Amino acid sequence: MAWNIGANDVANSMASAVGAKAISIRQAILIAGILNIVGAVFIGSHVTNTIRKGIVSTDILADPQVALIGALSALLAAALWVSFATWKSLPVSTTHSIVGSMIGFGIMAGGFGVINWTKLAAVVLSWIISPVFSLIISFAMFKTIVKLILVKKDAFVRALRLSPAFIGLAAFVIILSFLFKTPLGKTLSIDPWTALLVALILGGSVGYAGKAALRRFTDSDEDDSTEMVFRKIQIGTSCYVALAQGANDVANAIGPLALIYFLVNTGTVGAQVPVPAWLLLFGGIGIAGGIGMAGHRVMETIGTKITTLTNTRGFAVDFAAASTVLIASKLGLPVSTTHAAVGGVLGVGLAGGIEAVNFRIVFQIMVYWVLTVPAAAFTSMIIFKILQLFV
Amino acid sequence: MRIPFISMFMTSPFEGLLEHAEKIKECVWAFQQAIECHITEQCESFEEFRLEVDTLESQADAVKRRIRGHLPKGTLMPVDKFELFRYLHEQDKVLDAVEEALDWISFRSEPGIPDALHKDFFLLVDAVLDPVEEMCRMVAEARKYFTNFADKQRQLIKDIIRTMRHQEHEADKVEDAIKAKVLNMQIDPVTVYHMIRLAETIGSIADHAENAGDMMRAMLAR
Repeated sequence: MAWNIGANDVANSMASAVGAKAISIRQAILIAGILNIVGAVFIGSHVTNTIRKGIVSTDILADPQVALIGALSALLAAALWVSFATWKSLPVSTTHSIVGSMIGFGIMAGGFGVINWTKLAAVVLSWIISPVFSLIISFAMFKTIVKLILVKKDAFVRALRLSPAFIGLAAFVIILSFLFKTPLGKTLSIDPWTALLVALILGGSVGYAGKAALRRFTDSDEDDSTEMVFRKIQIGTSCYVALAQGANDVANAIGPLALIYFLVNTGTVGAQVPVPAWLLLFGGIGIAGGIGMAGHRVMETIGTKITTLTNTRGFAVDFAAASTVLIASKLGLPVSTTHAAVGGVLGVGLAGGIEAVNFRIVFQIMVYWVLTVPAAAFTSMIIFKILQLFV
Repeated sequence: MRIPFISMFMTSPFEGLLEHAEKIKECVWAFQQAIECHITEQCESFEEFRLEVDTLESQADAVKRRIRGHLPKGTLMPVDKFELFRYLHEQDKVLDAVEEALDWISFRSEPGIPDALHKDFFLLVDAVLDPVEEMCRMVAEARKYFTNFADKQRQLIKDIIRTMRHQEHEADKVEDAIKAKVLNMQIDPVTVYHMIRLAETIGSIADHAENAGDMMRAMLAR
């Protein structure tokens, strides 16, 4: 499952950077692999918790036997469905598959009553909101870049002058997400306001450090020097996306596994027990493995197909998608990085930044989005029944 | 494997636009050689050049169809889709005018262009070549503009369009001079008609190039 995520979704995080030639394929794979693990381990626990016990009520999970079979069937169903979709070239989301299959097993095990409908509604709502949110951010970001930098005569100087703001903003969100509600934040025992302050200061200093580095490494004589500035910044933002992706997507693979782990270990489902970090690490490594093995092929496709995405556009897309996903992760909502990335691209497209984008893909995604959840749920139901026969 | 993120991106129509414009440039060069050939009467390859223009025209037509056929509903572009189509339509008319002029000559190739008009027609062909070459440059620069949105770049394109307008005006003057001269020559009326229509057709090459420039100006409007 984790392997599948790595293989499929790496495109979202690294596509714009590789497409805009900010980093090489090899670099992209390395960065995506490492940061997916980091994001999974340090920020991934909220979403995992949602998948583990948020959607299906814990009442039904009280019976370890049922819960064990259920979690196993959910995992198998999602993996099966995603593999099938990959084979058939359908644009499905791993996130939706896992949520769907958890619902399927919940319904099978305890009827419709055990589904936590309010939580599910929040998750479904987040699927609608996340692309829209990402679209708005990228639209605003790109418009800002055009208005403040590209239009001007001294675009290069302006890009350099404003670079701390862009880098700092990304750093601010990242640091904040590390400090808020994570094991790391808890051990340091930082209250929200101090965290905010620390993030602000660190974000600011990272921004200025970035500017100094940019000034050093960018040649202002080149023809498209403004794009070059953003090419450098994009290396940073692709890291940002990989991190956010790790944080959110690890749950898809680890959620049910975490459930199984508890059952085997403790015999009950503790509602309060946190997800152990090593399990998250395991998920992160799985994703990284997927990236390492299948990522190359995906990246090559990207490199040749996405030629109209320049660095300024790529930056806006990356920034919007990563911010959306990271914020959603913090709220414990399993959103699809694909959808956030697609939303980001459309935002830039609406702002007139890309020579041609196909808006219709949105409808296609929506169709599969509606199909995936019941399909995965159904598969999960069948597997659940079969497993029950054996046990 | 189909990844939704990747399938959003499509081939840029501007790429096709530039390809189309470049085909036109090749075409007008062949056209110039064909006319020179016809006027000097020393070479027999007029038909060859005419066929070359024909092939180039059909290639350019294929490019045009490709652009039109590959912009599905819901395509987001920095310019309006119909503005783009109108621009393409006008750019294509340049090509049609080139082809028509050569066809018109071939319909009555025997007496040829009267000796007194040779120099004027050389001048006219040279005059219409300029705006077409400029048009090709304009498309290339416009493509750059739509990636960097720089004001400087926009100014550059506006300057090119202005130059095209002047060049069209020059071509018009040459055309008018030819018409006045032909109408006052004491020659066979069929030749007069043939020459007038030829001058008009060649002149329209520059007209369409200028119109294309005006369409481009509309696409640049903020």
